Formats: sequence, C-alpha cells, structure tokens
Amino acid sequence: MAPLTSLFAFVALLFAFAIATHTSNWAVLVSTSRFWFNYRHLANVLSLYRTVKRLGIPDSQIILMLPDDMACNPRNSFPGTVFNDKSRLLDLYDDKGQGEQKGMGGIEVDYRGNEVTVENFIRLLTDRWPSSQPSSKRLMTDDRSNILIYMTGHGGNEFLKFQDAEEISSFDLADAFEQMWEKKRYHELLFMIDTCQANTMYPAFYTPNIIATGSSAKDQSSYSHHADQDVGVAVIDRWTYTNLEFLEARLNGTASDVRLGELFDYYTFDRVHSEAGVRYDLFPGGAEAARDRRILDFFGNVQGVEVDDGDAEDGSWREDLEKLKRFVEIAEAEEKRMAAKESPSEPASAQDGSIAEGRQKSGRPARDMAKGGESWLKQAVGVGSLLALGAAWVVIK
Amino acid sequence: MAEPLQGTVIDKDATPASEKADAVSVAPPESPGSVWTRRIIILAFWAVVATLGLPHWIWTTSIYRAELPAEQMTRWSEGHACDLKYPIHVALETGSLPLDQLKAIAEKTENTLNLDNGQSLFSFQISALDDHHNATHERALTASMQQQSTSKAPSANLLSMTPTLELTHGPMDSIGTDNLVAFLVNELQQIFKDEQASITYLLRHSPFHAASKGFNLGTEATKAIEKRTTRAFKYSSTYHVTFSLFAASASPSAWDIEEALRQYIKPLLRQLSTVSDFQIDTQVQLFASFSPSIAGPQYDEATNSYKLLQSDLSGFINAAEWPLSPSIGSGPTLNMVLYIPGPGQTPLLLETGGNSWTIPQWGGVQILNPSEKQAGRLTTSDLEPVMLTFADQLISLLGVPNSPPSLAMRIASLKRERATSLILSASSTLGALNRLTRKLESIAIPPSVATSVDETISHLEQACSNLREGRYQLAFENARTAEAEAEKAFFEPSMVGQVYFPDEHKVAVYVPLLGPMAVPMIMSALKELKSFRQAKVKTS
Repeated sequence: MAPLTSLFAFVALLFAFAIATHTSNWAVLVSTSRFWFNYRHLANVLSLYRTVKRLGIPDSQIILMLPDDMACNPRNSFPGTVFNDKSRLLDLYDDKGQGEQKGMGGIEVDYRGNEVTVENFIRLLTDRWPSSQPSSKRLMTDDRSNILIYMTGHGGNEFLKFQDAEEISSFDLADAFEQMWEKKRYHELLFMIDTCQANTMYPAFYTPNIIATGSSAKDQSSYSHHADQDVGVAVIDRWTYTNLEFLEARLNGTASDVRLGELFDYYTFDRVHSEAGVRYDLFPGGAEAARDRRILDFFGNVQGVEVDDGDAEDGSWREDLEKLKRFVEIAEAEEKRMAAKESPSEPASAQDGSIAEGRQKSGRPARDMAKGGESWLKQAVGVGSLLALGAAWVVIK
Repeated sequence: MAEPLQGTVIDKDATPASEKADAVSVAPPESPGSVWTRRIIILAFWAVVATLGLPHWIWTTSIYRAELPAEQMTRWSEGHACDLKYPIHVALETGSLPLDQLKAIAEKTENTLNLDNGQSLFSFQISALDDHHNATHERALTASMQQQSTSKAPSANLLSMTPTLELTHGPMDSIGTDNLVAFLVNELQQIFKDEQASITYLLRHSPFHAASKGFNLGTEATKAIEKRTTRAFKYSSTYHVTFSLFAASASPSAWDIEEALRQYIKPLLRQLSTVSDFQIDTQVQLFASFSPSIAGPQYDEATNSYKLLQSDLSGFINAAEWPLSPSIGSGPTLNMVLYIPGPGQTPLLLETGGNSWTIPQWGGVQILNPSEKQAGRLTTSDLEPVMLTFADQLISLLGVPNSPPSLAMRIASLKRERATSLILSASSTLGALNRLTRKLESIAIPPSVATSVDETISHLEQACSNLREGRYQLAFENARTAEAEAEKAFFEPSMVGQVYFPDEHKVAVYVPLLGPMAVPMIMSALKELKSFRQAKVKTS
C-alpha cells in the first residue's frame, strides 16, 4: 500500500511540475582537460558559452569551468585568441566584432585551473558550499530553472577524466542529479557530453525531467572536426561543431522557434562520424515531449513576460501610497519623540527613516573609535610606553 | 621473548636438515615445544591483525553518520505531523450598540461562517470587543460598526492601512439582526475568499493536501493563482532591489531617484519589512544598446511611432552588456529597469499597448519617452508614474496577493501564505534529506546536520501550533527559522563524498597493499591447521 501511495504522490508531483513553466535558465559549461594539445576542448566549451550568451543567458547564470588558458599559452601563435574554426573569423576569447557589428566582448570564467575538480563540480551541482563561497560561483537554481549542462574532455566507459588527475563516474553524476531533484533544484535539465564513449555517461541517471545526449556510443571514439595548421592542433570536436552549425544557422534570435528534435536529428553519422545518442525516457511524456521542447528553453533565457495592463490601478495606488507616506511620517515622528525622550542630548539620527539609516548607523563605530582615541589619558599612556621602550633599548645597548 | 625462541627453532630445524639431507628424506620430528612455539607465533601475528589491524581499518575507513530522527522527518515530509488550520480572529466594535447585542451578533456570525465551511482551512472566531479582550491572539480584522439614524442598506469599506472594516448600518430595529449578520458574513467571506483559494492551491500539491479538501478551487482561480506564483520570487529573508536607468543616448544622465524612492518606494518597503529585509541600489547607464538577438523597434507610419514587438520583450534586456549582475550578498535581486529610448526612436511603444512589463522572478521593465524638458534630468514629478508602476510591479514580484483591497490585509495575507509555504518547504527538505541519507549509504552525516534537523523540527512544531492559535507573525518567524535550518542541514558542505568507488578500484587498492602480507599469513595458518589436524588423527 505504501509504495502505491508514494507513487500517487509522485505522479501528483510530476503533474505539478509539468504544468509549471520555467522562469530562469542556467548553463554549466565544463571542459575537463588542460594542456595545449587539448585546445579543442576549450574551444568546444567557449563556443557553447558564446551561443548561450548570444541567446540571452546572462553571465551571472553561466558557470564556466576552464582548466587551462589557451589564449595565453606560449605555444599559441595567435596570442590572446581562441578559435573554433580554421577560418579564424570568430575569436571566442575576446570577440571584438567585425566592422559595424559589435562583438560580445570577453569571457567570464567562474572556475579556472586547479579549481576544476570533481569535488567542485559535484559541490556546484548539489550547492554544498561553505558560506564563504561567492554567489557568482554557485548554481542558484530552483524548481523553476532549466539547466543546460555541457561537458567535454577525455572519457571512457562510464567515466569522464578531470585534468588527468581524477575522474567522475556516471554514478557520481547520477547521484548528484538525484540530490538536485530531491531538493527541487531544477525544472528540466539538458545534459550534453562530448567525449569518447559519451553515451555511457547517462544510462546511470535515474531522476526525472532529464534529457541526455552524447556524442558517441560505447567503444566509439569522438573525433575532432579539423585542425588549423597555423594553430597547430585540432580546433574543435565534430559533435560540438555539428551542434554549433545547427545553432548558428537556425537560431538567429530570441524569437526563433526551433525544437530540440530538429537538433537531435541533425546528428547524423555522416556529420559526427560516431553514433550520437539521446536518452528520452526520464522525461515526462518521453521522446515526443522532449523533442517538442524549444531549444531556447535550454539555450536561451526566454521566459514569458507579462505586459502590465496600463494604469488601471494607478489612481488607487496613488491614494494608497499617499496614505502610506502619511503613516510613515506619523511613525517617524513618534520614533523621534521617543528617541528624544530617551536621550535628550543626542539628536535623533533617523532623518528619513529609510534603509539608508542602517548604513549610517553602521558607519558610526569608526567615528566613535577615533573619538575615544582623543582622551588625554590614552595619549599619556601611549607616550609613556614609547618612552619606556626607548629607555629599555638605550639601557640594554 | 620471541627472539630466543625463534633462534632455537632455526637451530633445531637447520642443523639436522643440512646434515641428514641426503641420508633421510624426512625431516626429524620436531619437539612438541618448538611446534607449539611456532603455533604461538602464528597466533600472535593473527592476534595483531585481529585486535589492532582490523579495528584500525574499520575505524579509518568508516564514515561518521549521525543518527537522524527519521520517523519524525517522515511524519513531516508526509504531512502527518501538522494539521494546518487558520483561525481568523475578527473583533466587532461599536459605539452605539449595547454589548449584549453585539455579542449576540458576533456569536451568530461566527456560527453561520463556520457552519458554511466546517471542514475548511479557515475558521472564524468572532468576538465582541470589550475592555478586557484577551491579547493572546492576533486580530486579523476589526469590524467597526457605525449606526446611522437614516435607515438604509448596510455598507462596508475596508481601510487600506489598517485591518479595519468600516461598516455603516441603519437603526437596529429597522434592519434586524439577521440581515446585519448575513451582510457581515458575506463581507467576511468575500474578504478571505482569495486567500483561502491561494492557500488551498499551495497545499493541494503538497503532502499536506488533506487539510485543503474542504475548499473547491475553480480552474479560473487556479490559473490566476498559478500566474501569480510564477511571477513571484521565492521567499528570502533579504531581497536586493536594484533601480536602473538605461538611456539609449547621453541623456537624461541624472534622475532624482533618492527623493522618488523616499516618497514612493520606501514607505511600501517599510510596510513589507515585517516579512523581509530590503536593500536598495540604484544605477545610471548611458548609451545602452539593444541585444543583437532581438529584432528591435519597428517604425509604424500610421502612428508615427516605434513599436516594440511582443516577441522581443523577453529578449529586451541585453544581459551581455547591461550591468545587471546580482548584488553581492545573500538573497535574490529584483531588477527594476527604466529604459529611455534615444532621440531617433521616440516615441517607443509596445506593440500590445502599455509601456511596462514584468519578467517573472526577475523584475520589471518600463519605457519612458521623455519630453523636451526632461532631456537632461528626470525630476521627482517626472518619476512619479514610473515609481507607481515600479511599486505595483514590486509588490506583485514579492508575491503580495491582489486582494482584498487593503494593503494591510494583503500583507497579513502574504504572511500567512509565506508561513505556509515555508512550512511546506522545510518539510519537503526534511523528507529529501531523509531519503537521500538512506539512499546514499556512503555519504557522511556530521553531527551539525542532526542538530539542524532537531532545530528544524522543533521550530516547525512551534510554527504549527502558532498557526493553529492564530499567531501568524510568530508562526511566520518560526517557519522562517525552520526553513533556514533545514536548508543548512541539507546543504551541509561536508556532506560531499566521492561517493562511488567501483569494486575494481577497491581490489586495485587493497591487493598490492595487503597481498604480500596476507599470503604468508594465510598459508602458514592453513599449513599449521593441517598439521594440527593430522597430529590429532595420529594421536587418536
């Protein structure tokens, strides 16, 4: 009986989520390899970064993990740049734009170098941080957030290597997603991974509302797309290149209406040279519902907006605010009177009874300290101790 | 003690063996003493392993898992721990009626109201206000009844700043008690109807849904509430409010925002400060350009104006270039954006009409087409309509309900709603933590988590009893603490294990470490056991 009830509860929960729409978009973009010969992995991630930023996800909602800095690598013959195509038209690192068109500017890296670790990644997903962690490095999502997670690096059967030192297994990842789901940290999640045997990373997932896609089947490699002879290394991976080709061609603005299914159909063997896979079964409604999701639900920051219905209420509002103002004035006068009663010598500091008041108050101790230092006794003690020290020095010498 | 013994063993073993190796194929029998010595040595090694090695290994590899009150956590997460009820205390006050009559009216009203919805969340407690009213509960509403000499139908007016219902009615003998009661019942039901609906909506999809069965929620009402909850921010004890002026050109480069805020926004936030703290920031940005991913304003010849398409509104905020990053510190940021179009694009209007829109859980945006004299600086009076719209957007973003038409009542209603949702959220977090700790067996549970969980449960219990007593401010505060503690427990930073180790990894770690040591120990133990058994067979 108990499992049946919990099943009902679960179905009810699913329904509750299904009817709700998302209100924010977040992207977690991770490259897990460093060193010059892995240039393409950083280019992959920066390409995705550019795409989601172009489609309106603000930097504060993009978590970018870059283990290395290719632009400043001494082997880079184009210092300060990262390209994802041998045409070298688009600088991913600092997009200054071409001619008339303004570029997107630089990138904001949230986790760099040695900070890109399995532990930090798991902490990021589960939001288990010490209180000192700055909020710009946290994934502050809730049950109305859609999350895009893109990972690239070197991997194998059910694992992805982080920086040659450690690896994340598909089970760790699945457990992290489970923790996120339990705490209602996502509404829908699109997981994308470009690595060898990528499709082995997602069968372990067991939490709902996830669409997962990978670049290659088990025992298959993921290949790079092409190398740039002047840069000297491969500049992008095939599967990511395919994604970008589609996204650049079809998603020109935040108004475009392209579905995920079209993107997934674009991953043909001819283009990717490996068998890209998609997992739909965790998503409520299965393949049909998942394929019908707009790409912008994950890659853009597009929510429904509500145009306010004119100034129908303004009249009453004005009245209310007028009354509020009077109310506040009365309360302030009362407070002033009370303050005056309590300490007649001190003028009431509450001038405008506002939030600024708190700041003024917090500024006071510094002044008080300075004031305290003026007392002649303290000065005498200070001079005395200096003299004593001087005498001691002379005597010992 | 071991050394001389070992020495003797080697001596006895070695010398005869080397001398008689060729002559006899079997080693001479050992003396029983040396056999026992060897056995004791082997036993000693095993004893070290069993008494020191094994406990040490268990001690260093085991994970500390504090005991959590699983049963209580489940009770909360499944909604059995608290039967949510909302008693509404209404006091009747009058200058004209005798106390007995007032009490009779109160009693009748209460009976009628509670008869109508005996099963429902809200129960009304109506009392006649006399000098010695008990102050144990908060009064949700005071109905102040004024008798007028002319006989006419009773009318009511809800005051906006205090929870007071002003009720005027004709002489008692002309109107009759029953009519007055019926009128009062109707008024009170109208006032609390929307709140009841929204709390029902909150509970309906939660484990506490049993409490909300009495109230029937129409689809229309559900839609309205859904829209409101989608728009509103999640509860936080601190909100940052950022007011930004974005101008497409170099002007206006200043606005009298301090004064405008003081007049229009701060009084409002002061009223809301019992629910949350607010921190205000302002900024001015010139030459703000549109994001390249929207189509931009289209010129409309018919009206000689520029129109912003509906589809562009969601991408209107240029997230890449406009400095609207969240404020430092905890708590979400509400962005209030005022956009001034450049001289080449005025007047800029919305395709759908109006000049402002709300982005759910993000903020509000407004477009102001400045007149000639506003070019340099926006004065307080220029900002008045802007601030009124901002105030309107602000309260809807904070989740303040749209009705009843009294701000004080709306804030009280918000407090009840927030208390409920905080209780729900804390309970669901408890449930999540409970399930998680059971599912992930290798995750550590530090003692601080257990403390926080206990704290959460005790505050939840207090919040629940406060709620049932009708002390909503206290209930709200307890629920807030409970939720904060529950979050703290769930997001305990040390509860991150490298959770999963495949078995191959374990083998790979332990074999090189223990193999060289374990093989001789096990082999010698086996050998000795064997010979022990043979010896036994021989002797018997």
